[in-house]
Amino acid sequence: MKKISFTLNGERRQVHVSPNEILLEVLRYKMGVKSPKSGCDSGDCGACTVILDGKAVRSCLIFAVEVDGQEILTLEGLSADGLSPLQQALLEKNAFQCGYCAPGMILSAHELLSNKPHPTEGEIKEAISGNLCRCTGYQPIIDAIKSLTQKR
Amino acid sequence: MAIPYEFHYEKPLTLQAALELLDKHGENSRLLAGGTDVANEIRMGFRVPGLLIDIKGLEELKAIRVTDGALHIGALVGFDTIRASKPIRDHCHILYEAAGLVASPGVRNRATMVGNICSAVACMDSAAPLLVHDALVHCRSLGGERVVPVAKWFVDNRKTCIGGRELVTHVSIPLQEVKCAGAYQKMMRYTGEDLAAANVGVLRFADGRCHVAFGSVGPIPKRSPRLEKHFLEHGVNPESIVRAREMLEKLIKPISDVRASKEYRMHMAGVMLERALIAAGERLKMPRVIAGKE
Amino acid sequence: MEKLHAVGQSAVRVDGKEKVSGAALFTDDLEFGPDLLYAEIVEGPHAHAMITKIDTSEAEKVPGVLCVVTGRDFPYNFGLYMKDRFIFAQDRVRFFGEQIAAVVARSPAAAKKAARLVRVSYKPLPKILNPLDAIEGDASLIHPGLKSYEHVPWFFPQPDTNIAHHRKIRKGDVEKGFAEADHVLDDTYEVPRYAHCAIEYHAAVAKYDHSGRLTVWASSQSPHTQRNLFANALAPMGIRHNDVRVIAPHVGGGFGSKAGVTMEILAAAIATRVKGHPVKVMWNREREFYNTYQRLGVVARLRLGVKKDGRITALHHELYWDAGAYVEYGANVVNAVGLSAIGPYRVENASIDSYCIYTNLPPGGPYRGFGYSEFLFGLESHMERIARHLGIDPVEIRRRNAIKAGDLTAYGAKMNPSGLMQAIDAVAKEIRWDEPVLPGNDEEAVGKGFSLFWKAPAMPPNTSSSCFLKFNEDASINILVSGMDIGQGFLTVMAQIASEVLTVPLSKIRTENPDTDRNPYEWQTVASHVTWGCGNAVKLAAQDARNQVLDLVSRTQNLPKDTLYLAEGSVRCVTKPSFRMALEDFVIHGIQMPDGTFRGGPIMGRGVFMPEYATTKADPETSQGGHPNVHYTVGAAAAIVAVDKKTGKVKVRKIVEAVDCGKAINPDLVRGQITGGILQGISTVLYEEMKFDHRGKMLNPNFTDYKIPTSLDLPDEVVPIIIEVAEPDGPYGARGMGEHTMIPVAPMIANAIDDALGLRIKTMPITAEKICLALLKKNEVR
Repeated sequence: MKKISFTLNGERRQVHVSPNEILLEVLRYKMGVKSPKSGCDSGDCGACTVILDGKAVRSCLIFAVEVDGQEILTLEGLSADGLSPLQQALLEKNAFQCGYCAPGMILSAHELLSNKPHPTEGEIKEAISGNLCRCTGYQPIIDAIKSLTQKR
Repeated sequence: MAIPYEFHYEKPLTLQAALELLDKHGENSRLLAGGTDVANEIRMGFRVPGLLIDIKGLEELKAIRVTDGALHIGALVGFDTIRASKPIRDHCHILYEAAGLVASPGVRNRATMVGNICSAVACMDSAAPLLVHDALVHCRSLGGERVVPVAKWFVDNRKTCIGGRELVTHVSIPLQEVKCAGAYQKMMRYTGEDLAAANVGVLRFADGRCHVAFGSVGPIPKRSPRLEKHFLEHGVNPESIVRAREMLEKLIKPISDVRASKEYRMHMAGVMLERALIAAGERLKMPRVIAGKE
Repeated sequence: MEKLHAVGQSAVRVDGKEKVSGAALFTDDLEFGPDLLYAEIVEGPHAHAMITKIDTSEAEKVPGVLCVVTGRDFPYNFGLYMKDRFIFAQDRVRFFGEQIAAVVARSPAAAKKAARLVRVSYKPLPKILNPLDAIEGDASLIHPGLKSYEHVPWFFPQPDTNIAHHRKIRKGDVEKGFAEADHVLDDTYEVPRYAHCAIEYHAAVAKYDHSGRLTVWASSQSPHTQRNLFANALAPMGIRHNDVRVIAPHVGGGFGSKAGVTMEILAAAIATRVKGHPVKVMWNREREFYNTYQRLGVVARLRLGVKKDGRITALHHELYWDAGAYVEYGANVVNAVGLSAIGPYRVENASIDSYCIYTNLPPGGPYRGFGYSEFLFGLESHMERIARHLGIDPVEIRRRNAIKAGDLTAYGAKMNPSGLMQAIDAVAKEIRWDEPVLPGNDEEAVGKGFSLFWKAPAMPPNTSSSCFLKFNEDASINILVSGMDIGQGFLTVMAQIASEVLTVPLSKIRTENPDTDRNPYEWQTVASHVTWGCGNAVKLAAQDARNQVLDLVSRTQNLPKDTLYLAEGSVRCVTKPSFRMALEDFVIHGIQMPDGTFRGGPIMGRGVFMPEYATTKADPETSQGGHPNVHYTVGAAAAIVAVDKKTGKVKVRKIVEAVDCGKAINPDLVRGQITGGILQGISTVLYEEMKFDHRGKMLNPNFTDYKIPTSLDLPDEVVPIIIEVAEPDGPYGARGMGEHTMIPVAPMIANAIDDALGLRIKTMPITAEKICLALLKKNEVR
């Protein structure tokens, strides 16, 4: 067991982990942060996406010990002060159906918009291309992100 | 999905410390950079080490530099950084192109190019670009530096010539004297993320030379000297491409697996070769030098 | 028609905010405290084998392991329509990966470690991986006990064979019909198995407490059916229905995979062996593929006779279903198709033989479309081929044969009202059917394809839905139903219906996924029936509440009841425009009389809906005489594709789909179903492909090699069209449409590819590789 500490949604947190513990599982089962989901455990689906030091990454492919001293944002953090304009647009457009892919999808889009407030449709598709959704056919999600970039 | 295998973890902060750990633990250790392959393999019980050595603390491995007539890409440079790097776009455009086809953005934000060639899975995207550019792999151990041409780096599927006590510090790509342009083609089941069922890299030079490399059509990615000689002798034109595709039947040995049949792989290798040659030719005509020295 | 204020509006989903904020909790997100145990499943590495010995002794020694359970602990069979399934394998395994045992431990890692130490010995048996092999005379029997299995009365198992059910249609005079035909096309189509690929895994947590209460939290489309099946299966242990409680949180996608009972029963059963502790069973991506349900595969031989003008004279459809190792649910897919394999056409002379065949592959079961995608691949390919052969426009041939209200279905009941013609016309116009499409470059070929579709809910005739509706002090409402929101928007639609009746705004209506102890009965969220069935129950409950409200106001205010109505959350009176009593003033605490006493009390509505006209009673030799399907939902679709002639890669340029949903209670959600269903359909025809080896082991149970589309794999344009020809017994005329949207996609893409390349592919999937190799064979490319 190793004690690590990192910033989770703006709060400094400490936790004891074994080297074989995956970040996704530590977040979910040891720290009570449930929005990152498991959908493949192999980096294919993007449901476990979190923002690590500003980048959207797969928390199922990271050992928890690796993030010592770093900063993690999950959807809980993004929602802390109410819905972001991105979340609001997705809500109003009924962009999601079952909602299981939503946390990962939103964080991938959030990373894109943080770096590029006015992306093209192609850039939007590229940014969320690692987040699998089986319900929506993606178009409503893309349209919602697009509507937001036009509004700005 | 919990991992039932146990191992230790160290994160050295200097290259010297990392090399000492490697020297002490040798084959019983594994290096961890982006980890996108390592985490998956350990979860599947494949190559589970006694000690995981996280090298992300080694600042000297994070840079992309152009010095001494070469482009140097550090072992910790991720594919997202490659995509954002002007020197790489300018000097090794084909690598920029291939990097954009590696997995998905969330994986590219973490995965490294050096990790890719160290995992050495036959379908890797980095190999063909590095092969056509005659890249060099720089390994370090307590014994010193060893430089391996990338053409000799791959030994078998998932196997390289790296020693158990070595780590790769960086890859260097010589800047070309002659104007040149590359193109990468990847055979995928759809437009979204996929592992290459086959891939082709081509680098064409203004003086008529042409480098060609294939991936995923054999256990290791390879240059094709026969095709390169053929194009040098006959130039790149519709007739020489037809002939090259005929030659291909004897030059590559694709297999049938869950991703594609050998027949389709063979056909696609020819189509991709043709398309890569044409695309590289178009780029070569553009006024801006796409790869090579100013 | 009355003016509607809530129904027909594209309201924002009632569960939307939960889902975009990360607040939505799915089964594995629930907390069960430090006493939670974990079960890891031991699987069999044979497609068909006798189990000769199970040695659990080494596994039991692993620190942290509490117990190991096997089939011996639960010698019970269960199933939805036929009891042919077992909690754990009994004497034999019937598919590769079947569950043999479970190790229960304090941590997932310990359970996993110990599961690898369970030693099982097998004696392999001949395995059958193809339905046609399974019906050979000398085929070994996969279920020697078939004749003893309990099943619903509308199934006809063939004892001592591998045929678990045979649905037969005999209508009119088929021989005469073929004799009268000017052209007969006879061909065979193959549609393989597919996986649902909901992104959330199956998950179940169960606790059997010391009072004998069994609670199961599960990701489920069928909480009440699960309760029923758990209680029935575990009845020998003294467990009754009211001992069992199923709680269903949000579901991360279902598509049929989480209907009925699959792995959830493992949690329920295991919990009885670790009394007092909650125990979690989590599936992973691999098991999602090979040990839940798969969509059934089918080999379909189709013979269709037509006159010169394209009118159908006779149809013969033989369907050989690869139903897998257990068919307790899948056999009803076979049945549904047997009843409906004439497609949305007027066919006077029809014979259909739909065979449910056991194989040693994973159990086949419900999957969005319930068999209709599979048989329509052949039928709609056939229609296009016949049209081209006769020189008739493919849209025109469909117009000439399209079924109309009052025409007789295959089983002789009357077809319900439908907007099929409007759908055909709307699609043909939007896709510009009569205009040529042009390739973008020399390497591209372009083509157009058309397809109709239909589907009926496949349900027992006594399927029912029910609803409680209760007011709170501020006249906000809780609707209690047991349908599941699996993403389709069920809860939102129920709230809109209640809002319509009671004129209470949507923002004041709460409706959530159920708990079988608290919420009234619903059969299952399957068959695209809940908007219709449960929608009726909610409407009745809301009307019941409205009736109580108006009664109370009438008797306390001395106003005739028939002059009272609800508007904007108040009771108003047609003869006294100034009269207004707000609901929040009395729906809980009643209305005070001049003497200080009160009348009324909490207003609670109740609604029950069962289609009392449905029956499966019919002649088993012909299927004539019953009314097994309540109604059909129909529609039309068309696609334009561009094919890279050198690689075979297909790009979908445009898809138009029109569906007659009777009434779009929430048009945005209807369009969402169309857009999503189309991509799922595209995926089955172009990308997804299960690979099995000679042992019956699935080789690609992962998203690395079983490819479902990403955001980079969309059609350039999707145009959803809503047609509204009311269903007489639907709430506001609505009928279901969720599954239907993917049904036409495979045949219309196949038709468009044929149009582009002159290449008819009769086996799915139609991958780039398959197209390219076929073109190479024709020597048309290099």
